[in-house]
Amino acid sequence: MLHRIKFGLKVLIIVLVGGLAHYILPQHDVVRVTSTEIIRQDFSWYNRMFYAQADSGSVEAANRDMRLINTVRRKTWIWGFFRRESEEVMVYRNEDTGWIWPPYFKFDSSNLQAEAAAVVSPRDDEQWVVLTHYGWRNKLMTVFPNAIGVRAVDGPGVRIIPWFNIFFFGFVIVAYVFLRAAWRQFRERNLDPTLDAVDGHMDAASDRARGVWGRFTDWIGTWREKPRR
Amino acid sequence: MGFIRLIIFGFLGMTVIYCLVSWYSRSVRLERLEKDWDADPQGDDNARSAHIEAGMVSYEKGFRKKLILLIYVVPVVFVTTAFFVTNTN
Repeated sequence: MLHRIKFGLKVLIIVLVGGLAHYILPQHDVVRVTSTEIIRQDFSWYNRMFYAQADSGSVEAANRDMRLINTVRRKTWIWGFFRRESEEVMVYRNEDTGWIWPPYFKFDSSNLQAEAAAVVSPRDDEQWVVLTHYGWRNKLMTVFPNAIGVRAVDGPGVRIIPWFNIFFFGFVIVAYVFLRAAWRQFRERNLDPTLDAVDGHMDAASDRARGVWGRFTDWIGTWREKPRR
Repeated sequence: MGFIRLIIFGFLGMTVIYCLVSWYSRSVRLERLEKDWDADPQGDDNARSAHIEAGMVSYEKGFRKKLILLIYVVPVVFVTTAFFVTNTN
């Protein structure tokens, strides 16, 4: 039973951390911008956490206008690793992330909106762009991924190398190896000697106890009748 | 306001990492000094602790310990780079 609970907890942690990474890390979509617009967004308690805050330097109100970028994008398989020929529509929000979370330090939403507007293209004169974003689209909760940057490319067959994610996961591996080494060092040099010392104290204490008790029983023993020779 | 929060919490986080890494580095150096001595002892226990003491003193003055200060530098460089990469076209 305990094994199953442990296994379940591990799966839960992997799903949560993986989901967080999938939400936070930058992804690149090959899209064609069709229009840009601004809607008023009234947040609810359950979709508020999927939005950033008001523009940097502005006051935070209960609802506000929000920039959207409407696109047609190439569908992909497996988190964008394999691009397909088919297309779908995708809507991105365009919000400042500010200073802390998620750590994109994005303050240029208005400029990005202008850049997106500058690459709007009709179907017969397609201008493909690589749109970097993080986040998820959820129609039931009205949640949009947040656009980080656009970059014009020659065509939809462009090759994208996710450098940041490569370095990020490399860093995660290095951090994991370091933490494991540090833990082993701590156990070998500090924890185990301390535990051994505690063990030694326990042994010595029990020896002492044995000594007191032993003397007592010996003393009792002196009352006993000596065996006759 | 967010910037001040970033500085405060970033500094706290970097300090935790700095303490961890510098403890680890010192511990590894100490272990190596002990093992070097034990592999080829040249004297009694007093000479051993003197050898280890001298090694740790030279570690405290060494370049390797200063390298750990990069923990405070690299994130700042990263944040600055991310700021400019994100906000310039």
